[in-house]
Amino acid sequence: MAFNPKPDDDQVLVEKKSCARVIILNRTRQLNALSFYMVSRLLEIFLEDEGNPDIMLVIMKGNGRAFCAGGDVSAVVRDVKGGDWRLGAKFFENEFKLNYLMATYSKPQVSILNGIVMGGGAGASIHGRFRVATEKTVFAMPETELGLFPDVGSTYFLSRLPGFFGEYVGLTGARLDGAEMLTCGLATHFVPSSKLSLLEESLYKVESNDATTVSAIIDKYSEQPSLKENSVYHRMDAINRCFSRNTVEEILYYLEMEAMNNKADNWASTTIQTLKKASPTSLKVFLKLIRKARLQGIGQCLITDYRVVCHVLQGHYSKDFFEGCRAILMDKDRKPKWEPSRLELVNDRHVDCYFAKLDDEGWKDLELPERLNNLPPYVTSKL
Amino acid sequence: MDNDNRRASRRTEVLSNHLLPRPHTTTTLLSPSNCLSYSPPELSSSNPVSFDTSVMRSLLDGHNLDDRDWLFGLIVQSPLFNRQERGGRVFVSVDYNHTMEQQREETMRRIGYLLDRGVFRGWLTGDGPQEELRKLALHEVISMYDHSLAVKIGVHIFLWGGAVKFLGTKRHHDKWLRATENYELKGCFAMTELGHGSNVRGVETVTTYDSRSGEFVINTPCESAQKYWIGGAANHATHTIVFSQLYINGGNQGVHAFICPIRDSSGNVCPNIRIAECGHKIGLNGVDNGRIWFDNVRIPRENLLNSVADVSPRGEYLSSIKNVDQRFAAFLAPLTSGRVTIASSAVYISKIGLSIAIRYALTRRAFSMTPNGPEVLLLDYPSHQQRLLPLLAKIYAMSFAGLELKMMYVNRTPESNKEIHIVSSAYKATFTWNNMRTLQECREACGGQGVKSENRIGPFKGEFDVHSTFEGDNNVLMQQISKALLGEYIVCQTKKQPFRGLGLEHMNNPVPVLPSQLRSSILRSSEFQLDLFHLRERDLLGRFVAEVSQYQAQGESKESAFNLVSPLPCFVNYSFIDSLPYSLYVLPELSSCRGLGQSFLRTSNTENLHRGGVEGASWFIEGCLGSVEVVICLDFCG
Repeated sequence: MAFNPKPDDDQVLVEKKSCARVIILNRTRQLNALSFYMVSRLLEIFLEDEGNPDIMLVIMKGNGRAFCAGGDVSAVVRDVKGGDWRLGAKFFENEFKLNYLMATYSKPQVSILNGIVMGGGAGASIHGRFRVATEKTVFAMPETELGLFPDVGSTYFLSRLPGFFGEYVGLTGARLDGAEMLTCGLATHFVPSSKLSLLEESLYKVESNDATTVSAIIDKYSEQPSLKENSVYHRMDAINRCFSRNTVEEILYYLEMEAMNNKADNWASTTIQTLKKASPTSLKVFLKLIRKARLQGIGQCLITDYRVVCHVLQGHYSKDFFEGCRAILMDKDRKPKWEPSRLELVNDRHVDCYFAKLDDEGWKDLELPERLNNLPPYVTSKL
Repeated sequence: MDNDNRRASRRTEVLSNHLLPRPHTTTTLLSPSNCLSYSPPELSSSNPVSFDTSVMRSLLDGHNLDDRDWLFGLIVQSPLFNRQERGGRVFVSVDYNHTMEQQREETMRRIGYLLDRGVFRGWLTGDGPQEELRKLALHEVISMYDHSLAVKIGVHIFLWGGAVKFLGTKRHHDKWLRATENYELKGCFAMTELGHGSNVRGVETVTTYDSRSGEFVINTPCESAQKYWIGGAANHATHTIVFSQLYINGGNQGVHAFICPIRDSSGNVCPNIRIAECGHKIGLNGVDNGRIWFDNVRIPRENLLNSVADVSPRGEYLSSIKNVDQRFAAFLAPLTSGRVTIASSAVYISKIGLSIAIRYALTRRAFSMTPNGPEVLLLDYPSHQQRLLPLLAKIYAMSFAGLELKMMYVNRTPESNKEIHIVSSAYKATFTWNNMRTLQECREACGGQGVKSENRIGPFKGEFDVHSTFEGDNNVLMQQISKALLGEYIVCQTKKQPFRGLGLEHMNNPVPVLPSQLRSSILRSSEFQLDLFHLRERDLLGRFVAEVSQYQAQGESKESAFNLVSPLPCFVNYSFIDSLPYSLYVLPELSSCRGLGQSFLRTSNTENLHRGGVEGASWFIEGCLGSVEVVICLDFCG
C-alpha cells in the first residue's frame, strides 16, 4: 500500500443529504487519483447503501479541478516492483468489482464531472446511470500512451458509442470536452458549472429511486451546448472510415490516405503521430478487446479486462506498462522505449495470449459480486 | 314510503358520486403475472454455467473468430443495417416492412459499404486454406444477418468469380478476378433454364463458333431454354457465365461455360439480350432473380472458360480430358463451394432458431402444476424438452461435421475431390432439410411470438426454404451418395481391396456383435451406438448391392435397377448420413476438454439414440435386432 502522509479516510468524504448519498473524492494533490484505499472504501459504501432503503440515489463528485484523473497506477507499479505482481493485481480486482457494482447498481448514480475525468475516473462514473458534464469537463482514456489499455470495463461503453468513435477514443486517448461527451453519449446531461449547486440541492429532495424522476430533475438545469468548430466529432465520417479497419496497421494506412487527401486539415496527421507514440502492444490488445466487448455484457468485459491486466502486470510478453509509467509518470521524460518497438514486431499470437486465463498457481478469473434479482431494465440489458 | 325514501337516498348517493371528485381507490385485485416479469435466462442462479463459454464458442465456430467479431462490429455499428436500440440493447435485422425494390436497393448499398471496408479483399485473388477459411467465416456472418445479402454476394463471388477462377485460365484471371473482387463489374451465373435445373447436361441454350469472325454465337432456341432464376440478372448484373451446349462443326461437344456481357456500365441491357424479372418470391426478395434470352449474341472466342477444353481460332475443338463424363464433372467443380457454404449456413440458422426458441422457453410460463402455484416455465415440461433438445443435440453434431467438411474442402486435393463431392452433397441435403424441420419446430415452440417477423424464426422459414432445391435438389444429391457407395463397394469387391474413404473403413473390420442383454448403460455408450450405425450401414449396403446386381444380371440397366430397388437407396443414404458425422467428429478430442466434453458426450449420445429410434426404426423393426423392446427403449431414452 502506498505511503500517504494524510490519514487515508480523508480521501473519500461521505455525506448523507436526506435520501441522497453524496460521495466526494478528496485527494486533490493527486487529482483524486484512486488509491487502493479509495477503491476499497467506495466498494464498501456502495455495497452497504444497496441494502439501505433510506438511500434513493448516489451522487459522486470530486474536490478540486478534477473529478478523478484515473487509478493510482504509480502505486500499483511500486507494489509490483516491490515483490509480487499479484499485489498490484489486487488493486485492479477491487476496482473492477467496483465498476461492476456501479454498472449494475439498483439505484441511480449521478456523477458530476466538473473537471478532469480520465481512465479509472471514467470507470467510476460512466457506468453509472447519469453523467453530468460541464464546460470544465475534460474526458480521456489515455492508457495506451502508458503501455496499459483502457480497462475498467470501458470497452463496454466505448464499443457502444456511435460508429467507431470508441476505437478512436481508446486507441488515441483523445481529449473530449463536455459538449462532445454529451453528443456521443458518454455524458447523459450537460449542466453549466454555475448551476451545479442548485442541481445538487434539487437532487437531495428526491424521494424515489426511479430513474425517470431523477432524470427530470437534472433536465431542469440542463443545456444543449454546441460543439466547438474544430471538434473531432465533426470528423465522424473519416473516423468511421479509418477506425473500422480490421487491424491497427490498416487503421494507420487509411489515416495516411486521409492525410494525403485532406491536406488542409491536420487532424489525420496529428492522430497518426499520437498513435505512433503509444505502445504498439497496447494498441493491438485494445483493438481486439473493444471488438470482442461490443458483443459481450459488462460482466464478461470486466472478466476479460482482468485477465489482460494480469498478463500486463506479470510482464511475460511485454514490460511496456512499467516503461510507460516510468517515462510519463515518474521520470517524466515522455520518451518511453517500447518493446516490441513497432507494430510489425508485435507477435499476434502473443496478443491472443493476453486473453487467455493465466497459467499461474492459484490464479482465478475475476469473481463478480452477486447481483439482486429485481434490477431495473436499464441494468439487465448490460448483463 | 320507506322503500321510496331508500330508493331516493340511494339515487342521491349515486348522483353525488358522479358530481363530487372522490379519491381514486386503487384496486389490488389484479397483480402483474409472473409470466411477464422478464429475466434473461443466463442470469438465473439455479443453473450456473460450469465451463468457459468462450472455449465452447471457439470449438463451435472453429476458425477466424477475430474476423467474425470484426464483421459483426461493422454491421452493428453502421446505420445501413437497420439498427434498433431496445431497452439498452442493440439489434440488427432487415426491415420486414420494405418492398421488394427497397430490399434490393438496400442490399446493394450494404454490399457497397462492406466492399468499402475491405470485407471482400482476397476472396478471389487470395489463395490457400487460410484465405479460404477467412472468406467462409465472413460469408457465414453475412448469412446470419440476411440471406439475400449472402446470396447476392455469393452469386457474384462464389459462382461468377468461382467459375472464372476454376474454369478459366490465366487470361480470364488477369482480366476478371480483381475487377470482380472490387465490384468493378457485377457477375451472375446463368446455368439453370426454365426446362432444366437438376439435369444440367440437358440445357438447351446453344453456342456455335463463327471461325470467320472468331466469335461464339449464343442463342436461346426455344422458350424452355430461357435462363431462369438467375440471381442478380434482373436489375444489376453486367456480366454472366452462360452454360450452353457447344456445337463445333455441327457436332455437339457437350455443356461448356462462356463469359457474356449483359449490361453496359451505365446499366443498359446489351443488344440481342432480353431480360425479365422472375417476380416476387417466398423469400430472398433482396435478390433480383431474372430470366435471360440470348438472341444470337456474339462474344469473342477468348470468352470460353478454357481450363478443361478449348476451341482454336480456326474452330478446332481441343480437350485434354477425352472422357465426356469426366469433362462434364470438371465443369461442375465450382458448385462444391456452394454446397459447403449452404451446409454451414443451414447449421447457423438452425442454431439461431434454437437459441431463440430455447431462451423463450426459459422465460415463458404456462399453466401451474399445483393450485395457486406459479406457472411453470415451458422448458421445465419434459414434452417441451423433447421437442427442442434433440434438435439441439443434432445441431451440435452437424456443426462439427460441417467444420470437418470445411477443412476437407479448403485442403482439397485432386484425390480427395470425389469424397468431398459425396460428403458435401450428403451434408448439404441433410443440414438444409434439418434446418427447415428445426425452424418449424422452433416456430411452434414460440407460439404467437413465433409468427412475429421481428422474432426472426418465421422469416427464416421463407428465406431458407429454397436451400433444399437450389445448388442441387436435395433428393438428386442424395442419389449421388447411393450411386457412389455402390460404385465403391463393387470396385473394392472386384479388386479385392480394403475400403478406404467415404467413411467405409469400418467395413474392413469384422462384423460388430451386439450384446444380447441391452441395459441402458450399454445403450448410452458410444461404442454400442457406433456399432449399431456401422452394422446398419453394412447390412443395408450389402443388400442394396446384392439386389441391384441381381436385377442387372436379369438384363436391367443400372439406372432402372436403381428404380426397381427403391426405397433401398434412400435407406442407404440415411445410414451413410447417420454414421458419417459420428465417426468424423472426434469424440476423444472433445472429452479432453474438461466439463465441456462431458456435456457434449451426454447430449450427442442422447441424440443418437433418438435418431436411431425415429429414422432408423424401420431397419430395426425389419429384424436386425429382432426385439420390439429395444425399439421402445431407444425411442424413450431421452
